[in-house]
Amino acid sequence: MSDDRPKLTPLVAFIVMSLAVVGYFTGLQSPMNPSEEMSPSTLSEHVGHVEESHSSGIPAATSYSDMAVLTATSVPHTRLDGLKSDFDLLTEVKIEPGEKAAALAMRSRNRAFNGAPPTIPHPIEQLSDASCVACHTQGIKLASLRIPQMSHNFLTNCTQCHVESAPQHMTAVQFRENSFAGLPAPDEGPRSFAGAPPQIPHSTWMRSDCMSCHGYAGLQGIRTTHPWRQNCQQCHAPSATLEQTLLASEPHFLSPPNVNK
Amino acid sequence: MSNCNHELAAGVARRDFIKASAMAAAAAVASGSTYSLPILAAEPNEKIQWDKAPCRFCGTGCHVQVGVSKGKVVAVAGDMNAEVNKGLLCVKGYHVGSALYGKDRLTKPLLRDGEGYREISWDQAIQTIADRIEAAPERFAFYGSGQWTIPEGYAAQKFMKGGLSNNHIDPNARLCMASAVTGFLATYGVDEPAGCYDDLDACDVLIMWGNNPAEMHPVLFSRVVDRRSRGEEIMLIDISTRRTRTTEACQHYLEMKGHGDLAIANGIAHLLIKNGTYNRKFVESFCNFKAPDDENPNLNGKSISFEDYKQALAPYTPEYVEKLSGVPADKIRMLADLFGKPELKITSLWCMGVNQHTRGTAMNALIHGIHLLSGHFGTPGDAPTSLTGQPSACGTVREVGTLAHALPGGRVVANEVHRQQAEEFWNLPVGRINPQPGFHTVEMWQSFCTPTDQGGTIGTIWVQVTNPGQTLPNLNKLFNPKGDNKAGLEDKFLIVSDVYPTATTKLADLILPSAMWVEKNGVVGNSERRTQQWFKMVDPPGEARDDCWQTIAVARELFDRGNQGMRDRDGQFIFEIKDENQQSVAIWDWNHYYDVNVDKHLFEEYRQFSRLKHKDLAPYDQYVQARGLRWPVVEKDGQWKETHLRFSEGYDPYVEPGSEIQFYHSTTGDDRAQIWYHPWIAPAETPDEDYPLMLTTGRVLEHWHSGSMTRRIPELSRAMPGGYLEISAEDATVYDLRNGDEVLVESRRGSLVIPVWIDGRGRPPRGTVFIPFFDETLLVNDLTLDAFDPFSKQPDYKKTAVRIRKA
Repeated sequence: MSDDRPKLTPLVAFIVMSLAVVGYFTGLQSPMNPSEEMSPSTLSEHVGHVEESHSSGIPAATSYSDMAVLTATSVPHTRLDGLKSDFDLLTEVKIEPGEKAAALAMRSRNRAFNGAPPTIPHPIEQLSDASCVACHTQGIKLASLRIPQMSHNFLTNCTQCHVESAPQHMTAVQFRENSFAGLPAPDEGPRSFAGAPPQIPHSTWMRSDCMSCHGYAGLQGIRTTHPWRQNCQQCHAPSATLEQTLLASEPHFLSPPNVNK
Repeated sequence: MSNCNHELAAGVARRDFIKASAMAAAAAVASGSTYSLPILAAEPNEKIQWDKAPCRFCGTGCHVQVGVSKGKVVAVAGDMNAEVNKGLLCVKGYHVGSALYGKDRLTKPLLRDGEGYREISWDQAIQTIADRIEAAPERFAFYGSGQWTIPEGYAAQKFMKGGLSNNHIDPNARLCMASAVTGFLATYGVDEPAGCYDDLDACDVLIMWGNNPAEMHPVLFSRVVDRRSRGEEIMLIDISTRRTRTTEACQHYLEMKGHGDLAIANGIAHLLIKNGTYNRKFVESFCNFKAPDDENPNLNGKSISFEDYKQALAPYTPEYVEKLSGVPADKIRMLADLFGKPELKITSLWCMGVNQHTRGTAMNALIHGIHLLSGHFGTPGDAPTSLTGQPSACGTVREVGTLAHALPGGRVVANEVHRQQAEEFWNLPVGRINPQPGFHTVEMWQSFCTPTDQGGTIGTIWVQVTNPGQTLPNLNKLFNPKGDNKAGLEDKFLIVSDVYPTATTKLADLILPSAMWVEKNGVVGNSERRTQQWFKMVDPPGEARDDCWQTIAVARELFDRGNQGMRDRDGQFIFEIKDENQQSVAIWDWNHYYDVNVDKHLFEEYRQFSRLKHKDLAPYDQYVQARGLRWPVVEKDGQWKETHLRFSEGYDPYVEPGSEIQFYHSTTGDDRAQIWYHPWIAPAETPDEDYPLMLTTGRVLEHWHSGSMTRRIPELSRAMPGGYLEISAEDATVYDLRNGDEVLVESRRGSLVIPVWIDGRGRPPRGTVFIPFFDETLLVNDLTLDAFDPFSKQPDYKKTAVRIRKA
């Protein structure tokens, strides 16, 4: 017995470390591959740094050991705005019904109801909003990470409305059950016939940038099929009620002509 | 193909329909005629009914649009037509709807039965309360809050002072903004801010005194910082004892020691006079000077001359202020320079840092004082504005006067004329109202926790809409003895009306299930004098009922038993309400409570009280149409007009033409405000060898007050699950602490084991630790002290000496 132990220990250690490494990188990929059985009240996984992916043309961050041999030409490739995209942003997008259902389900995971500010599925810096703005002003989609652009005008106090889905500083526990059943996202906007452009089925308040959700960096299932069109509200009208215009909900008309019979 | 969707929707099963419409959509895409997304909906979403209500939580008074479907709240949106928030909310506001649906809502009256409780009927519950009151009416006390709606607080007020001739009614707001009230009274002779939130849109400099609006009043904070996004320049200054999210947005962070604020304010005044940069014209036209009268302490103090004032301030040089406050002398000069510039618009904001202070009245008066001395008063953007933490701290507590010494409309029980006016409005026999003020909060609970044979005169307390078992200071003295079998309090009886089980219901003898927020009608008043109304939208769960009904039902039970106090001069019930046909409505019977709008009847009766102090309220129906109106609301040419700035000509209709500024409730009777001198005085407790750390307490963004509502909202509870001790990295090293370590915190009054979060949400300096008070399992008020301000009787929760060690 006592002879075997020294041989066994490194083996066990190797297995544990291998599992840990595999588990770590699997975990990193999870935001793009959410498991379908997650309920709206389940927490999303934390999102960490993304492993480099040469296949999608994303440059690796420069390591300190490589700094000395950096050439002038290689420098721009370490910056996000130097990224080249393989995608033609203007081609027609084809969407399967399943993708749309999946997108709506995904959205509902970190929203209490349709219109609620989404909770933040990654750790945050407690005091400063600068780090929010660094990524979410522009928004980006990489092979394994999607950073939505702010859907509203720039507002300074990000954490006023958006809080962490799960805090880093302590274990999240649901203290008391709650039976609030939030308004689900609309499946579609009302339209007069099958080919007609639908009315916008949600308020555009806090969702004034259509491309935040319906653009390239949006979830596949709710992207616009016709991304070359820039003037969304030309065809898609908002709803006076949802926009809280305080206008009459029904249009008023003059009396019809009094026809004597 | 054009109509196929609608035809299909009528008769085809959902799954088939999805398939069919998907095919239709695919066909449409393939044919190139349209670029539709797939159509998933078989049935359209249930029709949502939207209506307005002010948010349930803080004193900002944001309006929300509440979406109701099938009798349940399903969504909330910021109200774009509300001036306060202009469509924006904070994370609590967006999730306020979920506060109604915690699974453990109280739904049945519960009476203590040994260690547990048994369910009883409402009739039994009402009779139990009536029995307790009948047995000893003078030993009964009512403990309410700034979350009482105006009609609820008004009914409780009339029931106690008008019905029982008993003034033992006080609210939790005593712990929250009582010092703001005394500060306003001492300065202007009348309560509540002259300015309003509009000042936040106009100010060039915003000074936050011990205030963290980025987390506690986020919508107001955004109103300021978002101006920068529009290219406006605004200087933000944070005077605080620890770094917070607010600090991050500020150009200047002035880190002070506890009570350093007293020195800073005096330092500013000292320099304004020394540099000759005070506003001589404003001071000579509109101000007097006052100092505390040490022999006979009262809110009128003693009059002093400008020379006396100058002399009193002489020691407060920037260097001396630095010594007292820890704020560098240059920063004091910077503040004085800003106040010395008449072209700048300066607004001050403060809340608990200044109010929960054993010199709270003094500190409130000093902030008003430097604004008056420098003339930064009375024009848009120039305002000393105190904020409140509860939705109706102003509306119900300060205006209805649910305080032990007060009567509605700024009246006090000690004033014979005021008593007569109240008796007149209430149609009560002359002399019904007791002239002796009742017990304030700390006295009330101290008396309740003292055995009867040792002079503990209060025998029964009825608590509505608040959680004193968590929020009173020094709980081991003021609340916990109730749960101690050896404390000799067997004859004491605690009645608690609430919506969820809390640290207070834990020791209750009778628990009453209440309706909340849009489960009932309501009227509240926010920090900027804005009175707001909403209608009931959904039914409360189980047998939960309105707090106002509970009070009226007990009053009626006493009336039926022949209690004379429940009768007016004509022998009528004091809450008699008649319908349009002049028929009496049995509102004490729950089945008939909503036959009339009780809120409207009570509000119209209460409205008569509002004229004395020129806090005129409009008729109820005006508030139905508006997103709140700021008093005085005065009728002119058939229109009800609100008031933005009080005491300023052109804004306030009660200012006489040509007077520019008129303090028409001046305590000196000469239309002038009082600029006070108050000396720096050390806190009630300071760190020493035995207890070397300063503990400060407060809130976090996600949780409101004791967390009984917000901790049942998954999005908020997940973001901030539990209490913690915030400590600087340097101190953590000294005590060998890592994140998540359990630490034993001890004060002279109690102890607590709590996890450590190094730096945490805020960043305390060395020597300071912070614990939020929202967690009912980690009660920081086991540690705090019950020392209070001599004028306002408001305790200091911000400065407790503690020691810690790794548990």
